[in-house]
Amino acid sequence: MKMIWVVIRPEHAQRVIAALDHAGIGGMTRLKVTGHGREAGITFGSVNSTEIPKEMLMIVIPDNDVAKAVKIIRAEAKTGTKNMHDEGTIGNGKIFITYVEDSFAIRTAGKTGGKLKE
Amino acid sequence: MKQIIAIIRNERVEETKTVLEKTGILGVTFLYVTGRGRQNGSANAQERGEVLNRNFRMQLTRAERARGPSESGKELSAGALPTEKESGSGFLPKRMLVIIAHDADVEPIVQAIIDANQTGRYGDGRIFICPMITAIRVRNREQGDKALC
Repeated sequence: MKMIWVVIRPEHAQRVIAALDHAGIGGMTRLKVTGHGREAGITFGSVNSTEIPKEMLMIVIPDNDVAKAVKIIRAEAKTGTKNMHDEGTIGNGKIFITYVEDSFAIRTAGKTGGKLKE
Repeated sequence: MKQIIAIIRNERVEETKTVLEKTGILGVTFLYVTGRGRQNGSANAQERGEVLNRNFRMQLTRAERARGPSESGKELSAGALPTEKESGSGFLPKRMLVIIAHDADVEPIVQAIIDANQTGRYGDGRIFICPMITAIRVRNREQGDKALC
């Protein structure tokens, strides 16, 4: 089981979520975050802003769904065309993938062990 | 060292804090999040009213205003995919709880979170346990397990 953390443009969030929904990936958590990348924020005239609003999604899915999810997220979160080979623009976001060793559903824990399926 | 991420109901936060304190866990981070499970956020009306507490609603509207709704609206209408409203995918306000703990403490913590949050209804939440490589205390650069307590 893998945990995917996605940082995307807030205006693309609904598109990404709808696309994941279509692919059968429904469960996820949304966070409103701020941050900046290697470009150290945006500069408007003499003002530099390093707190750019972004949307963060946390998705936990089985190992063999990861490639599909990454493909969908990339296609929808990218500015410009949906072609995977086309490059987007700076600020499109990042996808991070980490391991989940164990997971429990609180509702059923105790009765069935509450462990989620791999 | 393990990272425990739990998604719980807003109204159970105080109870969770009390139970964790009894277990001896004092370092907890709480985040305001929205989320949904396999039910796509289809809670009944009463439950929805329960969770949409006033504070959180205020936070949401403030964030929405700061972002400029007109621009995001334009983006949405241009997309071919159905919008959130059409696909009926409601996100409900939840609280995310992050605890970094010693390996031996994981089981008591998981049990404590389950004890405080189990109602048997949909939407009780999930607990995820992920590996964590190290921790560093900012104050004095202590590393690893020493930095935790």
